[in-house]
Amino acid sequence: MRTARTTVLAAAAAALALLATGCSNSSNLTPGRLQASLGSTFANLYMLQQSEMGNPPVRTASLHSDASCQKGGTVTVPQEGSGVWLCEITYLPAGPQYPVIAKYNVDVQTDGCYAADGDGPASVNGSPTITGPGYKQIINPLSLIDGCFDTT
Amino acid sequence: MPLLRFVVVTGLTSAVEVRGITKWFGETTALDAVDLTVGPGEVHGLLGPNGAGKTTLLSAMFGLVLPDEGTLRLFGRSRAEAGAAWLDGVAGFVETPRFYPYLNGRRNLAVLAGLDGEDAASLIDDALERVGLAGPAARRKVRGYSLGMRQRLGLAAAMLRRPRLLILDEPANGMDPVGIRDLRAALRRAARDGVTVILSSHDMAQIEEICDSATILSAGRVVAAGRLDALRAAAPDPVWRMRTSDDTKALAIAAPLDTVKAASHDGGGMVVHAAQDEMDGYVLSLAAAGIAVRGLELDRTPLEALFFQLTAAQTAKAAKLPEPGAPAEVTP
Amino acid sequence: MSLAADRWPAYAEREAAVRKPAGGTLVVWRVELMKLAGKILVRGMTVLAVIGPFMVVEFLNLQSATPGDTPFGQWVHTSGFAIPMTILGFGAQWILPAITAVVAGDIYSADDHFGTWKTILTRSRSRGELFAGKFLAAVTFAVFMLLLLTVTDLIAGLLPGREPVVGLGGQLVPAGHATWLVLASYLSDLPPLLGFTALAVLLSVASRNSVVGIGGTVAIAVLFQIVTLANMPEWGQQALLSTPFMAWHGFWTAPAFYGPFLWGLVTCGAWFAVCGLAAWLVFRRRTIGAAS
Repeated sequence: MRTARTTVLAAAAAALALLATGCSNSSNLTPGRLQASLGSTFANLYMLQQSEMGNPPVRTASLHSDASCQKGGTVTVPQEGSGVWLCEITYLPAGPQYPVIAKYNVDVQTDGCYAADGDGPASVNGSPTITGPGYKQIINPLSLIDGCFDTT
Repeated sequence: MPLLRFVVVTGLTSAVEVRGITKWFGETTALDAVDLTVGPGEVHGLLGPNGAGKTTLLSAMFGLVLPDEGTLRLFGRSRAEAGAAWLDGVAGFVETPRFYPYLNGRRNLAVLAGLDGEDAASLIDDALERVGLAGPAARRKVRGYSLGMRQRLGLAAAMLRRPRLLILDEPANGMDPVGIRDLRAALRRAARDGVTVILSSHDMAQIEEICDSATILSAGRVVAAGRLDALRAAAPDPVWRMRTSDDTKALAIAAPLDTVKAASHDGGGMVVHAAQDEMDGYVLSLAAAGIAVRGLELDRTPLEALFFQLTAAQTAKAAKLPEPGAPAEVTP
Repeated sequence: MSLAADRWPAYAEREAAVRKPAGGTLVVWRVELMKLAGKILVRGMTVLAVIGPFMVVEFLNLQSATPGDTPFGQWVHTSGFAIPMTILGFGAQWILPAITAVVAGDIYSADDHFGTWKTILTRSRSRGELFAGKFLAAVTFAVFMLLLLTVTDLIAGLLPGREPVVGLGGQLVPAGHATWLVLASYLSDLPPLLGFTALAVLLSVASRNSVVGIGGTVAIAVLFQIVTLANMPEWGQQALLSTPFMAWHGFWTAPAFYGPFLWGLVTCGAWFAVCGLAAWLVFRRRTIGAAS
């Protein structure tokens, strides 16, 4: 019975060691990963929003959406991990001379998923609904962005 | 097409062979170097006071308890050698048989027959009929069964396995006198059909009625073993209870006799230790002396006396009484 | 009682070749499934798995607001595909462990409770066959329930319509592809579900108590939920058995990522193997019944 217990504990320790060596030793909830995911998700959703509003189609590549995220606001905190992040997405809907900045309060969870709540400008993500074809009120895809990034 | 061969009992391989079985449970020694041999077709009694290790030994035969030392062979094969076929043809139960209370009697047997495979399921009706549980009783959920009904269902479950070795732990427990009588007849019948039977009891009288041989356990050790007649030969005198018209004079007549030991009993009357022949002579001499015998009954058979003598130490320890002198080891 | 009237059924020696060890475990598996099918709790859970999703859809339809805390929640009124995904995202990590615990956390300890180990261990099946057969039955139940929930959640969600759904990368996923992603997401929860099956078995065997087997598993699942909220190194997150329940997130992003799913396979495999092995080692030489 003692050898049995030792075997099981050894197996469990080996499994943990495997995981520890495989994954990085720190949290992977970094600004870089968040910004990359948020930026590209925003671009796709912008495209969707424009097509739902009946506007001419936009190519995501020409949008050059670029997110910049910071955690903690005025207080200096470690820039990693779950919690509330403030993000600004700079994009070019009308060419490089006219950048637009969309603000989001992003709640990031430990599994790498986030919910980004639109914080302006009002015409972009401030309103939860937009007017679709036939003057129907539909959900504004940019108002609340659900996304996930890889933490491994 | 698988062949079924009927086995011929040659009597060369013993049915059960136990050698030096020892089992500890923490600090307690439940079994201490126990040896036991049961030949095929024998009806063997396993006796001992409560806590002697009977259930542990029977559990070991079933593989429910794995011994720390020693070997145990059923029909010449150890558990390691036989693998899954260890209990082939072996059936019975340890302590009160237990079933699934939310299933009825028949469904319980169906579950067990399913685990047995082969043709066990086809024997269910017959088995229920023979233990007296056919009809409405079989359709009732087992949680509503009495102890006697459970014992009978246990026997039915054993029958499904076409046993050549029956191992029964206190099978008469909880049965009414009619049930006990039926059980005895059934076990005698099974033995006549060549089935080996091992049954345990703390009551020597039950064992005497049905067994050919016995092993007596006390505190995990074998204190006596052998055929019943051999044990009887080595047993002390039987014990009688007697009432006469003049106890004082009767005691005086017995005093000089060394084959008859008489003493007065606290509850009235006398207690006499004497073999049957000596007792006959004593009664006749009482009559010759003008003393009438008003009551005479056998209180303890020789084997019962032997049993109590051998297990007195364990019983005294359990009751925290002072132990009598060390019991004599008898192995004919 | 006519016990003594007739001959006892005669013992018949069987050819050694007839007995096949592999058949032994499957026999036990079949018997255990038979017993499970008769249990009220199992039948009740099956019925609930069939009608529950439709009740959830009805409930969602009656609300004008949408679930806010889970991915896909905001789209439940827009696309039918969002409904099974919302259910999965919201409930998988505690409903699924509870479902498997009801059977796996009880299937061994029930025999301790009824005292029937000595009854079934003294038939023609070895301890190994009984252990494996019961384990297989618990796994079968878990797989069955997950497949059932997958089908009913999908059908319930799609009855209203099959509009494309917005994925987790902001992309619009068309109906055909979305169907595959929903199925893949649900099936990706099978490894952690089986991990919890093995954990429930271990608790059941070690404690010989169904309350510990079932309740303990659910409690551990809840504990994982709490622990996962803490900021810890990634390997710590990946070591938790609850993390792989969410590995399907990566299926829905653009581009998709499969890292958590693959690491989840390692984690679940390890939990399954360690718990299963530990349970067997506890069981194989255990003393059955009270010793006297």
